[in-house]
Amino acid sequence: MKGKVEDKMLRDIFRQKLENTEVIPSPESGVRLMRQVGRKEFLRFNPSRFNIWYAGGIAVTGAALAIILASPVHKKSISDLLSSGTSEDKYSKMPDESQSAGKYFELEAQRPLKESGRIITNAARTNNTASAKKIQSANPASSLVPEGHIASINGKDIFNGGNSITENLRNQGLVTENMAAASVTEGCPPLKVSFSNIVANYDSCRWTFGDGGSSSEKNPEWLFDVPGEYTVTLSVFGTVNRHSSSSLTVIVHAAPRAMFEYSPDNAVLPSDEISFHNYSSDAVKFKWDFGDGSTSELFEPIHSYKKSGRFNLKLTVATEFGCSDSVIVKNAFSGSDNYIEFPNAFIPNLNGPSTGYYSSKSDEASQIFHPVSSIVSDYLLRIFSRRGILIFESNDINIGWDGYYKGHLCDPGVYIWKVRGNYLNGEPFTKMGDVTLIKN
Amino acid sequence: MTSDQQIIEGCAKHDRKSQQLLYDKYSRFLLGVCLRYASDKAEAEDILQDSFLKIFFNIKDYSGTGSFIGWLRKVTVNTAITNYHKNLKYRYHIEIEEFVSVETGVESFEEDFFTADELYKVLNGLPAGYRMVFNLYAVEGYKHKEIAKMLGIDTNTSKSQYSRAKAVIRDKLEKLGKLKNRYSEDNN
Repeated sequence: MKGKVEDKMLRDIFRQKLENTEVIPSPESGVRLMRQVGRKEFLRFNPSRFNIWYAGGIAVTGAALAIILASPVHKKSISDLLSSGTSEDKYSKMPDESQSAGKYFELEAQRPLKESGRIITNAARTNNTASAKKIQSANPASSLVPEGHIASINGKDIFNGGNSITENLRNQGLVTENMAAASVTEGCPPLKVSFSNIVANYDSCRWTFGDGGSSSEKNPEWLFDVPGEYTVTLSVFGTVNRHSSSSLTVIVHAAPRAMFEYSPDNAVLPSDEISFHNYSSDAVKFKWDFGDGSTSELFEPIHSYKKSGRFNLKLTVATEFGCSDSVIVKNAFSGSDNYIEFPNAFIPNLNGPSTGYYSSKSDEASQIFHPVSSIVSDYLLRIFSRRGILIFESNDINIGWDGYYKGHLCDPGVYIWKVRGNYLNGEPFTKMGDVTLIKN
Repeated sequence: MTSDQQIIEGCAKHDRKSQQLLYDKYSRFLLGVCLRYASDKAEAEDILQDSFLKIFFNIKDYSGTGSFIGWLRKVTVNTAITNYHKNLKYRYHIEIEEFVSVETGVESFEEDFFTADELYKVLNGLPAGYRMVFNLYAVEGYKHKEIAKMLGIDTNTSKSQYSRAKAVIRDKLEKLGKLKNRYSEDNN
């Protein structure tokens, strides 16, 4: 009943005071609004309100159209003037236009000059290159540049001699030496190889990679993921049905596979010794990381941990060619699924203290503060107020805190909890944290 | 003085002068509404602007039968709700003190004890969710079911938000009341 009265009182205060209160908006707010209205209004097409903006817009587009239409007319008249050549009369008749026409004339007159100039320089350039080519092909030393070892595995020095090679393919039609280069020619799968075609002047080219794949790009990239030896061939097609090809070999080494198990499965650390069982294949080198800072390079090590906990195990294996693989087991020995977790808030029942007994079904409303856990053998939960006063203690995991202290509901706020005990397999646990008591 | 009827007709024809008249006549009242739904005056003015845009461009929807001011207010409240949804992602935090605020004994206040300014301050300081529900329920007089629909929440959420809003408001008012009392005692 009390609630109702209060409720009405609050409502009345706000309703009477604020329902019809006026607040004066800042002056710029009105200006901003009208500007926005104007913008929206402008975008909204409405023939019945043909306002100044539309008129202005049409005037502007009209003017633009007029200019566009006018300009070819001008040009035409100018070309007429040019072709006829005798236009003294017209000039005198239209003194206003004569000036602009004169300007046009000047411009038009300059343009062909410029263009012819460009043609001349172009011609000069083609001449130059042609002569340069001739000189090069006349020189027998430069035509002998393409040699097998240049197109080496590294693909480094290839482009230096490239120009002369390319110039010659055109002229001589055939290059039988290596035209193809690869970034790497052996490695571990997946092996990514960048191939380069060092011929520059050709009509088309085709790469076949020896694994069924092909490409017509100039410099393709290819991924080899199956171990083996591949012959990669580049065919280059030049003009007049001439073509040549060259090939190189890519070796993809076998990849190892890392795999292991450990025993016993439900080990209790640190008392149990852990045996590792190695099921890796194709490997010759092994490296174990036990997650506690120690490592081993044995095939099947046995390890003793110095403390309990969860560890990340890692096995890295490698072949004689250095191809490697690794496998990680995260949070190993997580105590055969031992766990205990607490919530960070609960809402006590306002009707009065309870026994604290709970089950997952009976406490759907989170009225009791209690953990969820695997089976425990020993258990002690203590809850303290922020001043450090012990307000609750339980050595039965089935009894949680109901939020009451000596029969009185505690104030909402933060409380500290601390728990310690042992799991069923004897592994000890200690945890602490805080919980917020919420009053609903 | 132009009557509402003339203003409405003018606005329906998108007449600038009528729009300006409408703004001049009702902006202060509607800003009073907006300010209840906002966290400060700047936000309230943003809501006011959006509301007027809606009013100007949808004035044909006003049937002409109900009270015009009621319609204006409804549009404004709806705009405030839209604004709340738009900004929702920025303000999902609820301060824990506000959440667990403890109510003390019931004190009653005279209706005129607090000024409108103070009440606005209290509302502006509320978490947005509380503010929406409190305004819609207590001041606008909607039912929780309707509020739930408008805000896209559960009816029970509306109820619990309202009761928490009340607790927070009561707390704030009490503090304010004590301050004011002390101030007047000191003066006497």
